[in-house]
Amino acid sequence: MTLRTDHAAGLFFIALGVLVFALSGDLPFGTISSPGAGMMPKLMAGLMIAFAVAIFAVGHTSQRLAEIDWSDRWHALLVVLITAAGIYAYQRLGFLVTMSLLVFTLLVIVERRNALIAAAYAIGLTLFAYWLFGKALKAPLERGILWF
Amino acid sequence: MLGFSVALRPDVLWFAFLGCVVGTLVGMLPGIGPLAGISILLPLTFGLDATKAIVMLAGIYYGSQYGGSTTSILLRIPGEAASVMTCIDGNAMARKGRAGAALCIAAVGSFIAGTFGVIVLTLVAPPLAAFALRFGPPEYTALLVLGLIFLAYMSTTSLVRTLLMAALGLLLGTIGIDVMTGHFRYSFGIAELGDGIGIVPVAVGLFGLGELLATPSRQVKNDVTAPKLRELLPTRQEWRDSAWPIARGSVLGFLIGIIPGSAHIISSFVSYALERKLSRQPEEFGKGAVAGVAGPESANNAASTGAFVPMLALGLPTGPVIAVLMAALLIHGVPPGPNLVNDHPNVFWGFVASMYVGNLMLLLLNLPLVGVFVNLLRIPYAYLYPLIIMFCVIGVYEVNHSIVDVWIMLIFGVVGYGLKKFGFDPAPLVLGLVIAPILEMSLRQSLIMSDGTWSIFLERPIALVLLLISAALLALAAFSMVTRDWRGKLAEVEAGEGADPGPRL
Repeated sequence: MTLRTDHAAGLFFIALGVLVFALSGDLPFGTISSPGAGMMPKLMAGLMIAFAVAIFAVGHTSQRLAEIDWSDRWHALLVVLITAAGIYAYQRLGFLVTMSLLVFTLLVIVERRNALIAAAYAIGLTLFAYWLFGKALKAPLERGILWF
Repeated sequence: MLGFSVALRPDVLWFAFLGCVVGTLVGMLPGIGPLAGISILLPLTFGLDATKAIVMLAGIYYGSQYGGSTTSILLRIPGEAASVMTCIDGNAMARKGRAGAALCIAAVGSFIAGTFGVIVLTLVAPPLAAFALRFGPPEYTALLVLGLIFLAYMSTTSLVRTLLMAALGLLLGTIGIDVMTGHFRYSFGIAELGDGIGIVPVAVGLFGLGELLATPSRQVKNDVTAPKLRELLPTRQEWRDSAWPIARGSVLGFLIGIIPGSAHIISSFVSYALERKLSRQPEEFGKGAVAGVAGPESANNAASTGAFVPMLALGLPTGPVIAVLMAALLIHGVPPGPNLVNDHPNVFWGFVASMYVGNLMLLLLNLPLVGVFVNLLRIPYAYLYPLIIMFCVIGVYEVNHSIVDVWIMLIFGVVGYGLKKFGFDPAPLVLGLVIAPILEMSLRQSLIMSDGTWSIFLERPIALVLLLISAALLALAAFSMVTRDWRGKLAEVEAGEGADPGPRL
């Protein structure tokens, strides 16, 4: 049998539903006259499994799994990794340092832009955002190591 | 009059103007749609009162409908999903040298439809809110079920896929402390998850970051030609050809807008199909028919206004954008719903009146400044999306000052990317997430009221009617294997959007 996109999606959501049931052991379902904290999540997990089974069942008409276009996967992966690093650093290094580095890294590593132009753009953009959010709109931004 | 005395205050006017400008930009720029735009900018409104906040955020929403048409006409890139149909004839007009006329007709049509929508909203919302005061938990449960079924029925993907996404959203909405029993649900010892998953990180992740991940900069082109101001006026014949499509689009769009689902998108497809059917020269459609621009553009603007009716009168979101706007009102301590008009008349009427003013502003703003706005499209996408990512991070973090929220945004960015690859529409997920607490509470209250009898939903006339409509829709969907023309077309276009340079919500 050729694995198709809806087969994969159906299996994924069935597994997710089963996982929800497994994690819901300590949540009481209650009774119909006194529903417990577990009623809604278990109902929804059950419905999700039912819909996923339906998707899996008619999956033979969907696109083959191998035909999905993943040509953007490296772009996506790099953006995710760099953003994750930025999020990790945000409270430690503060707004100005983290955001400058985030923009600079995206431009240089993902977009292969000239490092000098990227640095100027990253610093300029971050200072503008700092002024807009931190000064004009008085939103408290993370200070981190720079203390301003 | 109360509304205009609020909406015409200089400070409120300023925020309406700001919302309209930002909305126009959000509608035009690649990789950011109204939902992500509003979510990202939500924290900017924290220092404002509720009226200014909602006026600005709503301005972004309907401003993005105007802005979306510009890229559709000039670049054949749907700046916003609702502008997909405008691409066909709008860009064909542009290739014939009538770009200015197409932009003018789109802007005037949007203005007329938007204003029509606000007039009907003014008349319909207060009596509907008064009627909704009769609703108890069983009626709300039935109404929410009907909303979800309607959403699935009107969806551009399949019924089952939409319901699955809605169930996932409802499931995610149960994360956190159960308000009725105090149980922690799926919080895994993370204190921040005790309050549940916020709509802003999920919406920004799915619709902002997820879209950016699937859009490498090499796929985005920047060849733009801005029309000159003197080329903007349509001919007398073009005005005549667009008059009835604008009128029909306004009525049709408003009616579809009230229904849950991607109303502003669907309305433009229905309007396009209707205009082609009614046209004496249907063969002109696709080659630059004025009605193919006027009808859909009017319909999507009227639908955007219509979508506010259930929010203001019933406290129900009809789509993810409205859900974020509801969240904004709640953050400002103003619960939307039947009591809004009595408890917060300044907010209600000020908001409604600001929409009249906002539509006029957009007309005056979009036509003369189209050249200025179009120049922004010349900024290389490679330099634009790091800015959007920065705004995503700041926007999500500033809501609760929680880094956990930012991680959730990143996770949902990846989820959004995956859903896109497998052909799932994330909008029902967001809607499910928003209505989960209301649905769970009203369902449990109904069952407690009835002492455990499901028949309470059949004994109360309003709830029964709503559930019968839901059942009828499900039966219709089950029988309707014959796909409608506009649905098939929408699915085709959306499937093709993956390769498009500027796809967004």
